[in-house]
Amino acid sequence: MATTRAILVDITKCIGCRSCEQACKQIHGFPMDTEAKLSPTALTIVEERGDRFVRRMCMHCQEPACASACLVGALKKTAAGPVTYDGSKCIGCRYCLVACPFSVPRYEWTKLVPYVTKCDMCAGRQAKGQAPACVEACPVQASIVGNRDDILEEAERRILNDSKYVKHIYGSEEAGGTSVFFISDVPFEKLGFAAAPKQAMPLLTASALGDGPTVILVGGALLSGLYWITQRRALVALAEAREKSIKERN
Amino acid sequence: MSAKSTTATGTSATRFPRISFWRTVVAIIFAAGLYSMYARFALGFKLATNLTDPQPWGLWVGLGTLCGVGLSAGGFAIAAAVYLLGLDRYRPILRTSVLISFLGYCTVCVGMLYELGIPWRIWHPIVMWNRHSVLFEVSWCVMLYTTVLALEFSPSLVEKLPWVRVRELYLRWHHSILIALVLAGTLLSSMHQSFLGGLYLITKGRLDPLWYSPYLTTMFYLSAIPAGLAVTIMAIYLCVRSLNARVDMNILSDVSRVIAPLLAIYGVFRVVDLINRDATQYLWMWREATGLFWLEIALLVVVPLVLLNLKKVRENPMYLYWTCAVIVMGFMTNRLNVSITALQTSSAAYYVPKWTEFAASLATITAAAVAFRYAVIYLDILPKNPPRERWLVPSAPAQA
Repeated sequence: MATTRAILVDITKCIGCRSCEQACKQIHGFPMDTEAKLSPTALTIVEERGDRFVRRMCMHCQEPACASACLVGALKKTAAGPVTYDGSKCIGCRYCLVACPFSVPRYEWTKLVPYVTKCDMCAGRQAKGQAPACVEACPVQASIVGNRDDILEEAERRILNDSKYVKHIYGSEEAGGTSVFFISDVPFEKLGFAAAPKQAMPLLTASALGDGPTVILVGGALLSGLYWITQRRALVALAEAREKSIKERN
Repeated sequence: MSAKSTTATGTSATRFPRISFWRTVVAIIFAAGLYSMYARFALGFKLATNLTDPQPWGLWVGLGTLCGVGLSAGGFAIAAAVYLLGLDRYRPILRTSVLISFLGYCTVCVGMLYELGIPWRIWHPIVMWNRHSVLFEVSWCVMLYTTVLALEFSPSLVEKLPWVRVRELYLRWHHSILIALVLAGTLLSSMHQSFLGGLYLITKGRLDPLWYSPYLTTMFYLSAIPAGLAVTIMAIYLCVRSLNARVDMNILSDVSRVIAPLLAIYGVFRVVDLINRDATQYLWMWREATGLFWLEIALLVVVPLVLLNLKKVRENPMYLYWTCAVIVMGFMTNRLNVSITALQTSSAAYYVPKWTEFAASLATITAAAVAFRYAVIYLDILPKNPPRERWLVPSAPAQA
């Protein structure tokens, strides 16, 4: 996974110019008006939190909850880093919206054939060697892209060398690790970051799913055993009754 | 119910069904349901529901799927008791409970069409597999168990066919696979009930601590069986009261004797789980979620246990009926809490279902109830008392 790509957002550098928002909308052909929240036509947005600007987007988890939840496998973690969505498989159950610990996926509620929308880290552009549109558009390099290991190293270097930073890389542990990282000089909970569990989300359901075969084997054996006893009891009762009637006849 | 049945059996010269209170109610529900269907499929989610991104699953999942499946648990429980455990005293209510489960699962499947954004792709899970998904397992369990229920129920229909040969062949074949069916059905529906709770395991940190537990699967399973049995009791009571069915009420009393310990086990399990997870602090906080938790525990565990402990309640069918109604309400509160209210604090969404959501759910349930009624009238689901007016010689009261 050395070639896995990741994005680092340095909140101390962001000037709130919304170039990333605009670039994202442009590349997807969405209407250009600014939106306050993520929506089907705003896959990344810049929020004002006090005097800081916080970018929201898909975190591209290493082990995504959405991909584990999707029953038809429309959502996938690619080897290159992005979590992608294949609309042709989607049945519209919206379990991904329920599952995402960062509440990122959006649904096209207004459409008659609605799909799920979310940032795909410009997987297509990245495959051609280009940077994601939002990163490319950033005039102050508040967002940078690179190999995940290098990006993490860079983030660590920054927070260790400068005392203003909070000593945590948001995304390094959240949901078991992501491919989008945030560093900040204001505590993350004050910037509206979700307190996601610090474990890979699919683990939460894996244990229950792992119990399935056991339930079938043990339960099946137990129920068959009970049925055998029931059957045997009935046979014994029948035989006894027959014996009794023969005796009475004699 | 009673008004409706008298009009149905009444001998009138008019060709049109008489307008009665219940018929009017059913007609209104169906009319509203029709509009909801139009709203959902012709206008879309935005106009038919109050669902939003922070609240992607609402009444149709909470009531339609979670309650629908849970309240249909009676069928597998009674089938397992009769065929696998040899508890023959429950055989008279077997067909009723299987019919309820079958119709329950039918409503779930119909509800799924409303619920899915792209319903014509409902078959996708058959060919597109993701075995890491709880919902994938749930969808397969629904498909397989609905098939099992259809097969378990099928003799009631097949035995009414006029062709003797077909009838005999089918029933013989059915008899040979029956035990396998019941066994598969018991396993499938046990897994299925649990996995519905498993769906919410992924909401760690967002589902309220009074509900989120690694044992959500077990808790969904433990609560579904008594609730399913309660529905069976309610349905049979109504059949006796207004459809002229002849059932030994002692069976219902026996079932209620099973429900009580099951509810007690569930209650103890909830308490132990809360203590284990150190979540008892939330029990005494002044907030909406805590209130709803206590409402749920009161209706699902405390009140029914107190009532079922009274001999007078266990042996009076009407009291039993209302006790079961309390259990069902408690069960529904639990499922709606898990799927809607307990997620609202973290999602900061305040979701109240739109009237069309209620109407669609209500119409589906009503359709199942109407189907149940006609099945009991025209098929041999329950033994019936002969109609009074044609019975010339006064008979001794039936002793089943």
